[in-house]
Amino acid sequence: MQIAVSGGKGGTGKSTVAINLAIALRERYDLVLADLDVEAPNDHLLLGVELANEEPVELFMPRFDYGKCTRCRKCAEVCEEHAIITMRDGTPFLMPNLCSGCAACEIVCPVPGAILPGKKLMGHTYLTETPYGFPLVTGRLLEGEERAMPIVSRAKKRAQGLGKELLMVDTAAGTSNTVSKALEDSRLIIAVTEPTPLGIHDGELILRLAKLMEIPAVVVVNRSDLGDVAKVHEIAGEYGAEVIAEIPYSENIIRSYVKGRPIVLTDYPEAGLFREIASRVVEFLGGGE
Amino acid sequence: MQLVIASGKGGVGKSTVTASLLYLLKDEYRFVAVDADADAPNLDLLLGVERWEEERELVGAKVARINTESCIRCGICQERCPYDCIKVIDGDYVVSELTCEGCNVCGLVCPVPGTISLDEVRSGVVRKTTTRYGFPLISAQLDVGRPNSGKLVTEEKEWAKKLMGELGLKHMVVDSAAGIGCQVIASIGGADLTILVAEPTPASLSDVQRAYKVVQHFRQPAYLIINKADFNPGFTALREWAEAEGIPILGEIPYDRAIPRSMSMLKPFVEAFPDSKAADAMREIAERVREEILK
Repeated sequence: MQIAVSGGKGGTGKSTVAINLAIALRERYDLVLADLDVEAPNDHLLLGVELANEEPVELFMPRFDYGKCTRCRKCAEVCEEHAIITMRDGTPFLMPNLCSGCAACEIVCPVPGAILPGKKLMGHTYLTETPYGFPLVTGRLLEGEERAMPIVSRAKKRAQGLGKELLMVDTAAGTSNTVSKALEDSRLIIAVTEPTPLGIHDGELILRLAKLMEIPAVVVVNRSDLGDVAKVHEIAGEYGAEVIAEIPYSENIIRSYVKGRPIVLTDYPEAGLFREIASRVVEFLGGGE
Repeated sequence: MQLVIASGKGGVGKSTVTASLLYLLKDEYRFVAVDADADAPNLDLLLGVERWEEERELVGAKVARINTESCIRCGICQERCPYDCIKVIDGDYVVSELTCEGCNVCGLVCPVPGTISLDEVRSGVVRKTTTRYGFPLISAQLDVGRPNSGKLVTEEKEWAKKLMGELGLKHMVVDSAAGIGCQVIASIGGADLTILVAEPTPASLSDVQRAYKVVQHFRQPAYLIINKADFNPGFTALREWAEAEGIPILGEIPYDRAIPRSMSMLKPFVEAFPDSKAADAMREIAERVREEILK
């Protein structure tokens, strides 16, 4: 079973909600948290752990054996990314940055062995134990690489491979297809938004994506006193998504965030808000017993 | 000159700072602004844009489709899809349009010709307006579930360059997306310099360090603006990192409620609350941008 924390806009508190919710849900489920914001993964920082058990994510990258290549140009013609250019005589060259690793060129190459399976490193996945009773899987795109999708896909598989009762994913901002990839297979999306015009605009997009994917969504409004909460309720209502919590702007949350001590484990009153979110999620998932 | 504003982490105030900087520079400099965060464009909201003068559909994205009539259900497409985008639904092989990257591997391995086609679909819109402050803004909005490719940003920048020629503009200011992926690479590539925005937290530091590596990859100079500078007293690692890397700090903006309030008013905070602490800091930053960057 999988649930996802997402939310359109960056910096609305997705990761804060994800880690606190994971800690609270740990009491009911055997779970793994997967940080699929591979361009800017931060859950490990919020949980105060160092990334461990690094595994490379390598993609296929064609290497040409020019002794065997017949200069037929089929590889270049088939490359949707235009990563292969050919010289006047048909000699192919690869522009590695454009290559998506799909191996279409190898599939169409008529000469066995003319395209060799080279590899390029795109990023890493990590599997880190946390002191909170659940492991964290993190995907991390290498700086300078452009494609987040393979890392999201591989990190998610690594987390799924642990066979836990509950997989909780924390997605990147936005609503592009890497976010869809992270959300896929979820039974519930917890959309974190803030009641500013920007938060509302981006929050609506994630609700639209949830609807397209036919995944039920609920809304958590963060910094609920810094804007127009009624508007969030109105839009959530249009998408049939219940607003399950309003978290006011809180110095305590900032303090706990900065100290790397999850708020749900403190005595601050805000801890109760996160416990409440957790119990609503448990209720939605059908008890968790 | 082409300058980019980037941050790595989302929500640290990149667009807020950009909108205010544009507001403070608009009388002296002639520029076009580009919102390169097609996934969640915000600059138009912060600049109070109400309508677009011109809008172009983008149809670059491709998705594979399987014809269930001729499909023999051999499953090779599903096996070979590099991104696990093909599912079996009620016995039919179906491509998930919301995760397909359009590589066409499924089409190439399919043994039945004509069963899998690669169709062009709309990926979003690119649009242009003249803001009420006089300068033009190019923005884009990706449709949900589409690949956020750098091509979209390249498209925006090309339109901006054309406008520069037509209107005799001297500068392009690009508000990049969060992260470090293709749209950020397309934003930073070809620019003259990048202004990084970060806040003093471990997460923001980690992400801005990653964005800085992209800047270094393009051998560009970088500058830093520290936002919410007083929000985490005792956290000195951001400043220390900038100093160790030799990244000039253009200024520090204190946490100020005037900023979220100005966002609700859909105005740059320097315009909405010119007497705020944050506005004072922002004016000093604009002064340094004039002296050190735009000269």
